[in-house]
Amino acid sequence: MRLTLQWSEIETVRAGATTRVVGQALEVDLDELRALLDTDRRLQRVRIDLAHPGESCRIGRVFDVMAPRAKLDGGPDFPGVVGTLERAGSGLTRALANVAVVVTDQGLQGTGGLALIDMSGPAATLTEFARTHNVVISAWPGAETGRSEYLAAVRLAGLKTAVYLARAAGDRAPDRVEVFDLPASTRVPAASQHLPRVAYVFQIHSHQRPTGVDEGILYGDTIRRMLPTVVHPNEVLDGAVMRGFMGRSATTYAIQNHPVIRALYSEHGRTLSFVGVVLTVAHATEPERVRSAAMAAGLVAEVLGADGAVFTKMGGGAPHVDMAQAAAQCEALGVKTTLIVEDMSTDGSSEGMLLFNFPGLDALVNVGSTRETLTLPAVARVLGADDLALTLQGAVAVSYTDLCGAIEQIGASRSVAVVQ
Amino acid sequence: MTPVAVMVGANRIVPAAGIIHPLGNAELKPEEEKTLRRRIVEQALQALQADVAQPTVFQAP
Amino acid sequence: METLRVVCFVNQFFGQLGGEDKAGTGPDVVAGAVGSARAVQQVLGNEGRVVATVRCGDNYVAEQPEPAIAELVSLVAAQQPDLLVAGPAFQAGRYGVACGALCAAVQAQLSLPAVTGMHAENPGVDLYRRQVYIAETGGDTARMLDEVRRLVALGLKLVRREPIGSPAVEGYFARGLTHNVLSENNAAQRATAMLLQKLAGSPVTSEVPLPTFVPVPAPARVSDMRRATIALVTDGGLVPRGNPDGIEALAATRYGAYEIVGLTGLDPDRYDNVHRGYDTTYVKQDPHRLVPVDVARELEQAGTVGKLHEVVYSTTGVATTLAHSQRMGREIAAKLKAAGVDGVILTST
Repeated sequence: MRLTLQWSEIETVRAGATTRVVGQALEVDLDELRALLDTDRRLQRVRIDLAHPGESCRIGRVFDVMAPRAKLDGGPDFPGVVGTLERAGSGLTRALANVAVVVTDQGLQGTGGLALIDMSGPAATLTEFARTHNVVISAWPGAETGRSEYLAAVRLAGLKTAVYLARAAGDRAPDRVEVFDLPASTRVPAASQHLPRVAYVFQIHSHQRPTGVDEGILYGDTIRRMLPTVVHPNEVLDGAVMRGFMGRSATTYAIQNHPVIRALYSEHGRTLSFVGVVLTVAHATEPERVRSAAMAAGLVAEVLGADGAVFTKMGGGAPHVDMAQAAAQCEALGVKTTLIVEDMSTDGSSEGMLLFNFPGLDALVNVGSTRETLTLPAVARVLGADDLALTLQGAVAVSYTDLCGAIEQIGASRSVAVVQ
Repeated sequence: MTPVAVMVGANRIVPAAGIIHPLGNAELKPEEEKTLRRRIVEQALQALQADVAQPTVFQAP
Repeated sequence: METLRVVCFVNQFFGQLGGEDKAGTGPDVVAGAVGSARAVQQVLGNEGRVVATVRCGDNYVAEQPEPAIAELVSLVAAQQPDLLVAGPAFQAGRYGVACGALCAAVQAQLSLPAVTGMHAENPGVDLYRRQVYIAETGGDTARMLDEVRRLVALGLKLVRREPIGSPAVEGYFARGLTHNVLSENNAAQRATAMLLQKLAGSPVTSEVPLPTFVPVPAPARVSDMRRATIALVTDGGLVPRGNPDGIEALAATRYGAYEIVGLTGLDPDRYDNVHRGYDTTYVKQDPHRLVPVDVARELEQAGTVGKLHEVVYSTTGVATTLAHSQRMGREIAAKLKAAGVDGVILTST
């Protein structure tokens, strides 16, 4: 399967009379975009703001972040959610670098545990989203729109915006091109046969909080009783998987730019053979967890024939146990594993970092501690949180978990908890 | 979460019916749910009466 | 710049009072640097002055640690120092524990920077490494001057509020505290590199130390259930409506004791659930899905169980620290044992 990402390098984003890319600038017709999003009756009062790197600006109530991507060869955009249900992962996809769509959640009182993005200051060094030009979408629930419907609607608004913006680059030659070309794992060329085979086990949701009716995760499916399955890595890079509605420490943007998949691709053919992605969900009952671990290990070891596997999770302790169980089963089948975990200690002690584990899982990378605090300075303006502007505009004490993008569980962030 | 229980050293462990309803199941009728609950509790009582030397998981029959 | 005022703490031997025969000596203060405190003064040079050496016998502290430490804290305070340097204690166990305890106490009570040093096997290390910066030393005085140099360097950084580097670089025992820093590479890149190392058979340095849990000997089985008292406990967050004991929804430090005298079941209208780690809808609808009072009462009435204990203990088990979990468990167990309970059914989510 071969996917070509055609990148336009954007250095400026500004409002304009039409939506287009001119030079390294993206101009956005905010009225047209607003009208496009307004057609969804589940939303009312759509507001679009622009936030730029370096500005004294704080975006509040962040629900999700998406990367601008559009298929201009007839392929599906975010199949099953925006576009038609077809396989993703091949053909041509336009992408805008340094631009992100930030979707806020106006349906909750207070901050409700939602994240912030500071475009400058101490928090800015921790997240990629302080370096992207952010198109911030705020929309309020329509009359009679339930919570779950509202979240589906704002997510859709973000995805539509992502497609809309990337389309603007369609008539420009790309500034750079990335090709993701991977044959089926059974067709490894002779020259690569000696390389260790590596799979990625991607836990895409945890059912501690079961998905809602509109909460599509994999090709728009709510994956409620999903058994482990295998996909081609390009499918993940091309819109087949998105983040659910709950939880922090993960954005759709990070999934679209999946760091583990990119890292394995960059080593593919040189130090390893990337043989595929196993998708799992973390379960809430023991029998389901045991079944899932056994099947995932089977896919990794016996079907993909992997020698090694990287694991990530989405969520807290129970997803960690789920991930660790699958990894332990892989180790028992002779597959070497590395897991990306969070420092889960609540009192800063190193014993508390990893409350659950299995012997043999000795290669752990951590994405930092969510509980560590920092104080953010006052800012000149606040976006996405009108009702909270008074408090959010001043200095605020936050934890890492409140900073969107600072702790990305699939490994996109650079924070790491060290023991001292 | 039985592997956690094993890891921290709990000696008598009985798997229950899930995180969100360890001793029940909303999909069952009330009498069936109570029967399920009784079965798990009785298994727990059996575990308390068993000799164990190390973390042991007592599967419900 | 004002010269720093430093107080040293030494035991009877390093304070030149005598050997084991003087281990029972009580605290005293001597002006200036005495005994091994002279090494501290030598290293300090012009940057600081050891204004006093506080001495105390090892046994005096070991036998009555609380009053002894309290006395020593007063003696230190009276000198109005900027820094306390205790030891180094090398392998001397009672001395090391006293150094650690005194450093912890002056930090907490006087907000005074403090530093000490000892050998890795000194019991003072495990007891105090979390709260106190303990420089690593050898087992005897062979390299004392170098080690005191490291000790004093650490102490000066603390006084000046300069950032302390990693344990390996500064030469102190890892305090077991975690702290976020920014890596050059993202976690996915580091994980890929780590896996490749593991596949090549090379040793990997995990970014998370693996936890070790001390095995708990299994209590003897309940021999006669028909005469036994069984208690119900949960970490699933059950509370009476209004959460009168203020049990935290996350990182709980408290648990509640709720009477079920005369009750054949838990009325959902009288209970609530504060746990934030799972969807509590179902256990709120019917608390028996978490704490099986109904079934337990029936088993008691049928004679299968001798008695259902009249108190249910409850806390929330999400993001609870190991320290608080262990403490709460110990406290609940003590209460249950005192009440004659023979066995516990603990429901965990």
